[in-house]
Amino acid sequence: MGIPAAFRWLSNKYPKIISPVIEDKPIVMDDGTVIPVDITRTNPNGEEFDNLYLDMNGIVHPCSHPEDKPAPKDEEEMMLEIFKYTDRVVNMVRPRKLLLIAIDGVAPRAKMNQQRSRRFRSAKEAKEKEADKQELYKMIKKQNGGVMPPETLESMAKQAFDSNTITPGTPFMDILAGSLRYWCAYKLNTDPGWAKMKVIISDATVPGEGEHKIMDFVRSQRASADHDPNTRHVIYGLDADLIMLGLATHEPYFRVLREDVFFQEGKARTCKLCGQKGHEATQCRGEAKEKDGEFDEKDKAMPLKPFIWLHVSVLREYLAVELDVPGLPFRFDVERAIDDWVFMCSFVGNDFLPHLPALEIRENGIDTLTAIWRDNLPVMGGYLTKDGSVDLDRAQLILNGLAKQEEAIFRRRRATEERREAGQKRRKLNDERNGRNNGRNGNNGVPMDPPQALTHDMIINRTPAPDANAANKSAAAALKSQIQGLMAKESTQEAAESETPPSGASKRKASMIEDDGASTPGSESQVATPPPVVNVDPSEDTVKLWEDGYADRYYEQKFHVDPKDIEFRHKVARAYVEGLAWVLRYYFQGCPDWEWFYPYHYAPFAQDFVDIGKMKINFEKGRISKPFEQLLSVQPAASRHVLPEIFHPLMTEPESEIIDFYPEDFAIDLNGKKMAWQGVALLPFIEMPRLLAAAEKKYPLLSTEDAARNNVGKEVMLLSEANQELYDDIISQFYSKKQGSPELKLNPRVSQGLSGQVKKLDDYLPHGSLEYPLERKAMPSVDDDRSLTVHYEFPQTNHAHKSMLLRGAQPPTPTLNRSDIEELKGKLRHSGRSHGGA
Amino acid sequence: MSKFNIQPVARFAGDSHPVKRPKEIACFSYDDNHEFHLGYSSMKWYYPPQLGTDLSKGFDKFDKHDDSADEHLDSLLRTIMAHEEEEGKKIDAQIVTWRGMITKIMSSPFEDRDGFEMNATLYQVRDSDADLNNKDCISFIEENHEYKQASMKEQRKQQKKQAKRGGQSQPQFSPDVMSFWGYKFETLSTLPATWAETSRDYIESRDEQVVSNKAQYCSVVRTGFGKTIMCLGGEVDALWDSKPMAHGAPINWVELKTSAEIRDDRGMANFERKLMKFWIQSFLLGVPRIIVGFRSQRGILTKIEEIKTESIPITAAQRGVKTWNANMCINFASGFLEWLKQVINDDGIWRIRRQPKSQTIEVFRVEEA
Ligand SMILES: [Mg+2]
Repeated sequence: MGIPAAFRWLSNKYPKIISPVIEDKPIVMDDGTVIPVDITRTNPNGEEFDNLYLDMNGIVHPCSHPEDKPAPKDEEEMMLEIFKYTDRVVNMVRPRKLLLIAIDGVAPRAKMNQQRSRRFRSAKEAKEKEADKQELYKMIKKQNGGVMPPETLESMAKQAFDSNTITPGTPFMDILAGSLRYWCAYKLNTDPGWAKMKVIISDATVPGEGEHKIMDFVRSQRASADHDPNTRHVIYGLDADLIMLGLATHEPYFRVLREDVFFQEGKARTCKLCGQKGHEATQCRGEAKEKDGEFDEKDKAMPLKPFIWLHVSVLREYLAVELDVPGLPFRFDVERAIDDWVFMCSFVGNDFLPHLPALEIRENGIDTLTAIWRDNLPVMGGYLTKDGSVDLDRAQLILNGLAKQEEAIFRRRRATEERREAGQKRRKLNDERNGRNNGRNGNNGVPMDPPQALTHDMIINRTPAPDANAANKSAAAALKSQIQGLMAKESTQEAAESETPPSGASKRKASMIEDDGASTPGSESQVATPPPVVNVDPSEDTVKLWEDGYADRYYEQKFHVDPKDIEFRHKVARAYVEGLAWVLRYYFQGCPDWEWFYPYHYAPFAQDFVDIGKMKINFEKGRISKPFEQLLSVQPAASRHVLPEIFHPLMTEPESEIIDFYPEDFAIDLNGKKMAWQGVALLPFIEMPRLLAAAEKKYPLLSTEDAARNNVGKEVMLLSEANQELYDDIISQFYSKKQGSPELKLNPRVSQGLSGQVKKLDDYLPHGSLEYPLERKAMPSVDDDRSLTVHYEFPQTNHAHKSMLLRGAQPPTPTLNRSDIEELKGKLRHSGRSHGGA
Repeated sequence: MSKFNIQPVARFAGDSHPVKRPKEIACFSYDDNHEFHLGYSSMKWYYPPQLGTDLSKGFDKFDKHDDSADEHLDSLLRTIMAHEEEEGKKIDAQIVTWRGMITKIMSSPFEDRDGFEMNATLYQVRDSDADLNNKDCISFIEENHEYKQASMKEQRKQQKKQAKRGGQSQPQFSPDVMSFWGYKFETLSTLPATWAETSRDYIESRDEQVVSNKAQYCSVVRTGFGKTIMCLGGEVDALWDSKPMAHGAPINWVELKTSAEIRDDRGMANFERKLMKFWIQSFLLGVPRIIVGFRSQRGILTKIEEIKTESIPITAAQRGVKTWNANMCINFASGFLEWLKQVINDDGIWRIRRQPKSQTIEVFRVEEA
């Protein structure tokens, strides 16, 4: 869902959902030999896990631009980083039954709109950044007495890895898929901890977002009567909505695993210019690298970033308390209540719709809705949702409750803002007077690291001016004056502090907390997240939600419609309701419609939802885009190199029939927010029929190789010979003398509960040699491959997934004690009612 | 008349005789009209019921099977015949009967209040001119229908008397209502298809379903004690997961039972005794899991407990239960059946009888061939 600030909010309100991961690390002996982690041993976390799901884009993206070391210099180095990271994650979880690796495939249209907005923004920023970079090098050269350090030159020449290639349809994704297959087969051959593990890889050729392919898998297994209802699931990924998806499975044992967002960063960062530690880019003298030790174990001293568990089971415990409404005229069903809560969370933020103006996660928007829900549940006659479908009459009641509070929320928000601004001013004055710096330049109460020296990041990640349209002066020129200003008072750090955005480290942290979208797989590099805009003139917000007539101004200025056109507002609200229904269905049943999208840049007000109970919502599966169509839909012209050349003119030539989809420049509307990245990129929406018509004309001109990358692929399953019964079953069916059909329904009693069907791979023979697919042969090939690869298909069902516990599900031992429960109840008494009741 | 002494039971103590794990070889179903069909059309799946449900609800609409007619072994024999035809060979069992008959025999050492009467017929099944060798013979055993009817009538009378003695403070339920509770519990706890293939509406409205005991799924298994091979037929209530793909692999059946809430030591002792019956019944068909629905005195479902069949003898031993012993049940039945094969050595109809409170089982011929 990419719920902004969701992790932070959730862990504040429900503290026990988080616990640290206990991790065994490889042991380095005195002679330099490394003893790898032995995952056949019991899990140091005190519990064993069955299935590990990797939302792989959450590994690929961080590996393409690591925070604590230089970016990989080429694809091979990048793959090795990915193997290393994946290995670490697998070693933490030690899945005993299954590893499912899911890479984002083509996305539903609703998601593409968000991807498009991010990529266009990122391209716009990159353009400005490049100019800035050149400027910086000039400064360094000057600093260095007119000589450019050789390693800096090398680094300058190097093209940074373009994260836009992490999209289905690119050659990079092919290499990634091939490399992962090799690596998993290699692990199955060499790591005894993998011997009994089945590995399923759903690469970018299989449509769907990674985490949703994982959810499809979990639902497909739940639909099998052989699924163990007490399966221990772990999903690795960066999105906050994995917690919501975890809840949506109704599996009692579900955890999310991720890096600790709140871990203190910035301690061991490296210079962005020469890649060495110990100094920042501005201090870079380009000196020869000093060896860290005899063998230059460069990462030896580097503490790895710790991981945390997010226990969905504990969140279920909290919600069971929070959502329990006494005296209902119908049976209280905690599973249904949880679904309603997940639905309401999607009002506050998701990847597919702009959030309602009145609902901000940081203003406890979820609590506001939960309170309305609790008040209304007895009269609603039932739950808001049922297995992924919304009861629109009941949804109307919830929205009515919100509408009553809407104005009060806007006014209160304004009052809080004014108070905060006044406070900041006062503190700044105090600080200046006292000549000290308390490091309070943070915004929105996010704790900041102590002030740091100026970094390269600080400069090149400079935010576009708040009013992007007005920023017509050259970015480089703007930067120049900034740098000159800095150089002039190099030693007075306070001055730099107050003039510039927070350090790169703090900035990144803030962005992870404030907007998980920034680190969402499939999004741009985190480097692209600009720091907060400073010196915003509040008078720029001409809608002024806190003043009478705001709705008229909103529709006039944002939608450019006559303020008297009330029917238009209802139309927007109906589209939004459709969106809410789409999102809910997507979470609970899988993508309901691949073509649906919300056709506006802005959300309506709660008060605009009228008579939604009369709506009839129908979704049809729709057409799934092909990889090149998605690329054409989301990439700006500047990133056209990720597409076959044949398509480039469509994005660049003035006579292209779809050139209007690729504006060079576009406005970013801050929409009342403070940060540019929170603003709305005002891009034209893709008209798919036109785009398809244009693309189809080019298809016959594609090379066979390129055309192959535009096709739909299948999941594969890998397993070791040591997984004997299952291996023998498949081998005897596919490869023995009396081989049968090339399809085999898995026997769950032999596959440790896995249901589905496997199919023979064309041109594949077992016991062949396993070739390392990359150039430099950084890893060995295996002569006699003792793993087996087959196609894998999820078991099919025509029935909707039900939000229920399965028979035999054992409730986990409670984590919350009485005082936790009392504390939560205490919070409930004081929350959600602050706007005058529902 | 031949007699088999039950006492002294101590002679059946010690390790259990070898038991052949029950394997389903065939199955049949009675539909909603109690009509016979080969196959598993009436098989059901277990999904837990809603606690707090009133087990008496719908008693007035109970669609009860009329059990006054003697159904003999007909359905079992039809199923075996079809199975033999499919396999192209005869089954190798020496005893063919309903599971209930062997249950009565197995529980004999620890149950002396009730008696039983069964009829047995010997058939020579294999073409052999040699002497009657009991390896080539099958004894078909069924309950003596008249005796069963009579004893059930008697039992009802006793229950009614007991209910009256219970006094005014106790809620009054007729024996018919109380036996309805068991069927109601089955209706509340089962689905006609897997959970995934059943609609939420059905699952949540099981309390509204008309309760019927006409439909049944019956499993026909091959099992054995010691040297005796048996083919048993019996109803199984529900499936836990799915029927295994491999023939003869253990099936995760579920046996559904109701019992009064345990409120004191006497209740506990009663439940212990019931557990022996639960164990024997499930053990004989290879049912690994028993779900017990505990009900209040007013017939409200208050608790569900899942019991592993194999754990019943173990936990009974751990609790120091002296009233029964699983190995002795097996060894007694094994010894008795071995003896029975010697006694029933000729055509005709034989009677196997235990009179209430008697310490012997008598076998005698009632009809010449
Ligand atoms: Mg994703």
